[in-house]
Amino acid sequence: MSDYKQQVSRRQFLNYTLTGVGGFMAAGMLASPLRMAIDPVLQPSRSGDLANVGLAEEDITTEPQRVEWKVEQVDGWYESEVTKSAWVFKNDKGEIVALSPVCKHLGCMVSWEGSEKYPNEFFCPCHDGRYYKDGTNVPGTPPPEPLDVFEQKVENGMLFLGKAHPRKGA
Amino acid sequence: MKWKKADVEKYVQAKEYIDTILLPLIPFQFSQDKDIELVASQNDLLHIFASEIEKELAGRVMLLPSYHYISSAAKSEEYLRLNSWIQETEKQPFEHAILLTFDASWKKYEKEITGNLIWLPMIQSESFDSKQIKGLIKNQVEQICEMIRAYWQ
Repeated sequence: MSDYKQQVSRRQFLNYTLTGVGGFMAAGMLASPLRMAIDPVLQPSRSGDLANVGLAEEDITTEPQRVEWKVEQVDGWYESEVTKSAWVFKNDKGEIVALSPVCKHLGCMVSWEGSEKYPNEFFCPCHDGRYYKDGTNVPGTPPPEPLDVFEQKVENGMLFLGKAHPRKGA
Repeated sequence: MKWKKADVEKYVQAKEYIDTILLPLIPFQFSQDKDIELVASQNDLLHIFASEIEKELAGRVMLLPSYHYISSAAKSEEYLRLNSWIQETEKQPFEHAILLTFDASWKKYEKEITGNLIWLPMIQSESFDSKQIKGLIKNQVEQICEMIRAYWQ
């Protein structure tokens, strides 16, 4: 009984071969849609990179200063170098704050103490939009939300900034 | 804002806030060999100025497609065509028309033109990318923005 070799029947043989070949074909067909489905995960996040803005941490004061730096940007058909800018300062707790200068109303560039009438505020020249120093919009002026805040880190004493993110507020 | 779909969509939503058009006046010519480069670099520089001003004041200014003309064309006729452009924008609630140019010969027709003509002196330079020239342009852009704001008051 023990040395009885089990014979593979014709039916079994056909079953095994067909399953095997079918499996290969299915795998081949599934491979490319699967790769496509998970593709975004495999893409290195380029926009998440932080860029050196050429400002040393020790040079950041409580007085907001405007910094500018360049990043490569792909915008549909155009691949170009765009200049980005931010207002950088240290708040009362000594934390670095980097605010986007783009007004949340219609996109003009706001400036620190841009109007003599409103000291200690960011001011938008287009429609007199105002923001407090922490970027919160002054109620009653056109901007509907606070200024965006940049992702930031300090490395080797230099300030690096990334993307600007909106935040909820007044 | 610029004359492109995404911006115009925003414009239609917020018309009452955008009351100023910015129109660069850009000449071209091929008849004088020696001036080809100069006229072409005026084109480069005026585009830089226009887009920088638009960036600063994007929420209130609409940058139109540039007004092109042949350098030698008679301004006595060109200004009529220019006025018809401005007239077209007045079908929307645009109140101010700011015209940018390096061409001093427009000055003669300033009174007839139904917009505010801003003449800029040309900056001659090998390249507009050097740090010094950039600083210079930036400073001038600030001053022009200041001037445009004066029209708003």
